[in-house]
Amino acid sequence: MENIHIEGKHGVNFIPTVDFNAETGVCELAGESYLEDTIEFYTPLYDWLKQYIEEVKKPIVFNFRLRYFNTSSSKCIIDILNILKKYETTGGTVEVNWYYDAEEEDIEDELEEIEDFMIETNIKINLVPN
Amino acid sequence: MDAQLNSNILNLYRTFGDNTPLSYKGPIDDHILQVIGTYIEGLLKHSPKAGKKVFKIFIELAQNISYYSAERSKLANNKDIGTGMVLISEQAEYYTFMTGNLVKTDDIISIIEKSEVINSLDREELREYKREQRKLPPGKKGGAHIGLIQVALTSSNPLDIEVNPVDEEHSFFSIAVKIDK
Repeated sequence: MENIHIEGKHGVNFIPTVDFNAETGVCELAGESYLEDTIEFYTPLYDWLKQYIEEVKKPIVFNFRLRYFNTSSSKCIIDILNILKKYETTGGTVEVNWYYDAEEEDIEDELEEIEDFMIETNIKINLVPN
Repeated sequence: MDAQLNSNILNLYRTFGDNTPLSYKGPIDDHILQVIGTYIEGLLKHSPKAGKKVFKIFIELAQNISYYSAERSKLANNKDIGTGMVLISEQAEYYTFMTGNLVKTDDIISIIEKSEVINSLDREELREYKREQRKLPPGKKGGAHIGLIQVALTSSNPLDIEVNPVDEEHSFFSIAVKIDK
């Protein structure tokens, strides 16, 4: 199974850096995500996760290192968490870490959002201050 | 030269005055989003907390215009882009972020109703409403139906909505939101 690497862009399209590694099971999403068309960007990532879950069947560590994301990206994050939760419920090992900058000015808003992610998907997210 | 038009533009310029660091009317595509976004980041460096909030609110409301505005512009690459207005005004204690765009009158009722619901809820209720709405099937290009809810959460202030009919089919929809410094 192929790895996915997409270099993030802080330019015309703000796309996150993606690193999905099929050998280690470590997946990372970092940077900024406020693309024009989130479905187009995120669908291959869902497909990769589903293929990994079906074929590789090893543990997944999912690290979020997002600095900023828009509301349509938040829906995609929920979709990713739902895929991971389903894997966990059917016996897979999943660890989700959310790295955040404790010095960030509006950190309360970000932590509130992550709490909402947990309520909405029922998955445990470890909060890791940078 | 059209003297009338020239004096109008002067009046418009004076209306905005010194406390309007940004005013834009036109198509809102990725390029414009990036240019204005970077400008806002620079402009608001001296009040980082409000700055980040203004930036987030700008992204949500500007993307709403680009997806949903009833006024469309064709760009050189033949892309069909939503058109509208974006305005920031600065007061001693707060910024006001405003957008305005044309909406089909048939669509306006649901926007008004949603805004009224948003303004009637406290923060915890708003978060619950956001989680519910986010569960609905995605809109255009992955839209999550929670842009306005997020704007209210980010600003911690009510949404100031106005709707003015412009012709039989269209209304001008404007939204202003205060961001405390």
